[in-house]
Amino acid sequence: MKRRILMLVVIGMVFGLQGVFAQLQDEKSVTVTMDLQPILQLDMETADQIEFVFDDIKDYYAGITKYGATILKVSSTVSWDLYAVGRSNGTTGAEFWDQVIDYGSGSGTNSINELPLSAVELHQSQPNNGAAGAGITATYIDYSTPFPASNVHNGANSLYVNNGTLTPPTVADKYIAGHSGTTALGDDAMTGGSYLTAGGYTSDYYYVIDYRLLPGLPAIFPNAFDADAATAEDLVTANGADSYAEPGVYTMYVQYVLVEDQ
Amino acid sequence: MREKKTYFVVIVALFALLSAWQSSGQIVCADVEIVSDPGDRADFVFDSFSKYLSGITFHGIANVNVKVDDQLPANPNCKWMLLMTVENNPSGGTAADEWETLATYGTGTTSPPKIDILDVRITNACSTSPVDGVYQNFNLAGDIIEIIENTGIRINAGSCTTNVNGPGSYLTNYDEFHFQIDFRITPGFTYNPGIYQLQVKFELAEVP
Repeated sequence: MKRRILMLVVIGMVFGLQGVFAQLQDEKSVTVTMDLQPILQLDMETADQIEFVFDDIKDYYAGITKYGATILKVSSTVSWDLYAVGRSNGTTGAEFWDQVIDYGSGSGTNSINELPLSAVELHQSQPNNGAAGAGITATYIDYSTPFPASNVHNGANSLYVNNGTLTPPTVADKYIAGHSGTTALGDDAMTGGSYLTAGGYTSDYYYVIDYRLLPGLPAIFPNAFDADAATAEDLVTANGADSYAEPGVYTMYVQYVLVEDQ
Repeated sequence: MREKKTYFVVIVALFALLSAWQSSGQIVCADVEIVSDPGDRADFVFDSFSKYLSGITFHGIANVNVKVDDQLPANPNCKWMLLMTVENNPSGGTAADEWETLATYGTGTTSPPKIDILDVRITNACSTSPVDGVYQNFNLAGDIIEIIENTGIRINAGSCTTNVNGPGSYLTNYDEFHFQIDFRITPGFTYNPGIYQLQVKFELAEVP
């Protein structure tokens, strides 16, 4: 009898406890998917062709500077690097200007038609604020140094060249913004953003580029330097004493590359 | 001795009856139901710079229609609450404050987006939700936003005021039992490109 009573008690309590937790409810859900596609947008304002015509002796001495010839405007949704690289069609060599026209016989004993691409000098309006990392060994991290006087030759503004390719510069080379490596924003990368919202021409997303070409007299292009800024590439150093640039028309191009930080 | 046993049986029977009464007492409504299917999918595709800058808003991406039936005879305790919560598949290793990563583009070194970039707005004609018309954010997976709060007080349908939670239906009191849900995302430029996912849940429950 007692067992039956106990059974009833237990059953009653079980039903009671079940009742405590009972609650009518319903639920529905919605799935939210977000597709963040990477956008790297480089807007460039520049002339189709930038011409340097050396037809006066002072132009050879002082060089010709084209101020604000190119404006680079960056919009990026990811961390980014921006660099410039000198290139040509390689008709006279991978790291040299293409000779389009050779004036005269072109057969002077010491006349050289292999003009180094690094003879082009750049100056950027804003300093590179994305290259503070300890691992960067470049003597000049960017092209923000003002053009030196025509008798000063230090490679501070010489254009980065890499055997005619557009391979990104290393830690020893120049970038316009950001640098080699993926350590951190500010160390070797620029933060995603746009010149449209970040303060316009004073921001890290807006660069005015000046160009200078300084042949010197004789025309040896004394400001041509390798990336380390210590290895001169002027015509005398590269080809021997008394070398000079062969008169003629030469062409090359500067390629601006915007990449996700890598 | 027999009398004692009889008393004991009566006490046990009363206890069982009490339990049974309590059991039925916890179910205070006849039925609660979210009638509409609030979700297919809300696909936010950021493929232009202007979308990154201005964000994307989906108005009425989800419509929650509530139907709560009273018992017969009517139970004055029948009332309900409506909650919204977010999930990000934590068992898959997703951090509590991040979207679940489905795929990544490139080799970026930044992090997946945070949950709090999803803005959610609830509206209906009577502004019955305390958070009506104001964009809300979740910070962590499992966070709860109360669309209709459990105040312990029943406010009958037809009042057209905050926290209407009595029995009723979107069919008869559309302005109080229908909720339009808007989603808005402005990702900014600090997150890894890729495809990410969240699940927003709407939970309707009676409250005794």
